[in-house]
Amino acid sequence: MDVSNIAAISGNIAVIGYGLAAVGPGIGVGLVVSKTIESIARQPELAAKLQVTMWLGIAFTEALALIGLATPFIFA
Amino acid sequence: MANPTSTKQVFATVLKQSLLLVATIAVVGGILGWLFAGSLGLAAALIGAGLAFVFGALTALSVYLGGRLSLGGFFGVVLGGWIFKLIGFVVLIATLKGLIVGGAKPVLFFTLVASILGTLVIDSLVVLRSRITIGEN
Repeated sequence: MDVSNIAAISGNIAVIGYGLAAVGPGIGVGLVVSKTIESIARQPELAAKLQVTMWLGIAFTEALALIGLATPFIFA
Repeated sequence: MANPTSTKQVFATVLKQSLLLVATIAVVGGILGWLFAGSLGLAAALIGAGLAFVFGALTALSVYLGGRLSLGGFFGVVLGGWIFKLIGFVVLIATLKGLIVGGAKPVLFFTLVASILGTLVIDSLVVLRSRITIGEN
């Protein structure tokens, strides 16, 4: 018996890239926000400071998502 | 410029400076896009820079407006906004993929990346310079 091809997938590989670009930063943003809420619950007087720091964390994390989602433009 | 001393000032400063930077990148990218890919390149540069600014500004606004709500409301606004923003971005990119073709593709990509990285630098500098008082809100 000659088996040359035991599995095949079809479709656009860029779709997997879209998925990965959403999953990674999604986990990152979830962690940043959850830790900020935990910190605000511990020290409510620091809420403003923590929110600004959290926003910076989200901005950096979502930059990866936006670049990842736009990448198929140049590499696909 | 004086250091921002409240969250309102931080976000206002970030939005103003980001708008200036993104406008500059849009002009430079537009000229280069025009040279390399004609009018489609110009449009691609404007769309790329515009997308980066709108999505960055939405994050800042969601944190600022969410900060006025309770902890649960804050969580909902920031993460709910993030989901809608990403879905919107995917839909926009999927739509643009058919419209922006040829040499205009790299123009859109690089103006988008330059705008995102540039706004990140501004965000970091403004936050580092800020002196937010304890007990605000």
